[in-house]
Amino acid sequence: MLVVSCGPKKPSEDEFLKSLEAIDQNSEPSVDLEMINAILQQIPSPIEISMMLKESGTNYDVSILNSADNLPKYNTNYQKALNLGIYGTDLGYTNIYEQNQDGLGYMSAIKELADGLSIGQFFDIETIGRLASNSQNLDSLLLITTQNFNNINSYLQSQGRSNLSVYLLIGGWLEAMHVTCQVAAKVPDNQEMKDAIGEQKVVTESLKLLMDLYAEDPTMATLGNSLKPLWAEYDKVTITIEKGEPTYEVVDGVMFVNDNNKSIITITPEITNNITNIITEIRGQIIG
Amino acid sequence: MKRIIYPIFALLMVFSVSDAQSQCNPEEHTNTCIPKLSTGFNFLKSYKVDGQGGNKDKVEYSYVFTKGTQYMINVCGPGGNTDGIVINLYDSQRNKVGTSLHDGQALAAFVYPCSTTGIYYIAYTFDGSTSYCGGSALGFKR
Repeated sequence: MLVVSCGPKKPSEDEFLKSLEAIDQNSEPSVDLEMINAILQQIPSPIEISMMLKESGTNYDVSILNSADNLPKYNTNYQKALNLGIYGTDLGYTNIYEQNQDGLGYMSAIKELADGLSIGQFFDIETIGRLASNSQNLDSLLLITTQNFNNINSYLQSQGRSNLSVYLLIGGWLEAMHVTCQVAAKVPDNQEMKDAIGEQKVVTESLKLLMDLYAEDPTMATLGNSLKPLWAEYDKVTITIEKGEPTYEVVDGVMFVNDNNKSIITITPEITNNITNIITEIRGQIIG
Repeated sequence: MKRIIYPIFALLMVFSVSDAQSQCNPEEHTNTCIPKLSTGFNFLKSYKVDGQGGNKDKVEYSYVFTKGTQYMINVCGPGGNTDGIVINLYDSQRNKVGTSLHDGQALAAFVYPCSTTGIYYIAYTFDGSTSYCGGSALGFKR
């Protein structure tokens, strides 16, 4: 496990690890489910990032993913939920790059973690496996996984375990960030990669809001504390928008709108490096 | 006895007819919409548009759009058309980016090449809708 020290007010690793063992009690504090659902729905799919990585010409690299062999390490619901999100992102990445053999390992791990969280009934692993074996089926795979997430989310909320939905989402996002940062480190002059990291500032703001809604949940609070150095780095990223003159046209009954805006993302190499290191550290604690 | 039964039966019929009119099954329409995303667009999300028989004038969702990605939003109502359901897109500052309403007609789809990463609000409104019920799909392509 690679652990890199950086950022202020970092919680001790002991404190973090202790929290991993404390989640198995289903004690849902009162939360605003409507607000939570709205935020959960607005977080972009990790598959968008995987697609961007492939389109930018970067090569597939299985070594940056969380090995399915780590599965036996995940015993608490907290670990299972976060790593289910992580493996979900990894499965999407293998699918985009048509690495079916690697994908099979992730599907098996996903099924086992889902069963462990009593949400295995939502994973028709045979169908997902068939779809994931061909990148041409990406649409169907995305449809099934999106519907799955919605169904799982409703189910967990009905059981007073909505925090697990949040862990799933955060795990998936952290893994997408990790993959992006690792790929970006190999091509430090690639502006698209720098922007891809910087623009996640928008998502971090939603995630902060989401975690604040679980302020009374001690495990969520611990995870939130471990993410604070990351939020602090993103506070230094600026996104400036230059407004343009919008144009539109109708083609074959479809409205095409172009706002002609430009956004400039300012992120220094130091900030990028810090973000990469913090993500590596947090992810390292999660994947074990 | 008939004098009692007929009014009750008639009342039940009225309730069941009005209930059927207000019932909305958005999943049916989202399932129609998903395959209608244009070639090259990958499915991301489906949205239920239930205006509750006209009691709601707007149904809104939000999603983080990413710079450099093109998004398509389509809408489907009863009978395979839009039934007056209008797609409106707003940026994070709530400035209107665009609408599918063109020359008084609600178009079936809206494409937006995103130039600024941010939270966008997809608001469905009703312009001459009879059912106030539909579904929508969001797709993306790089």
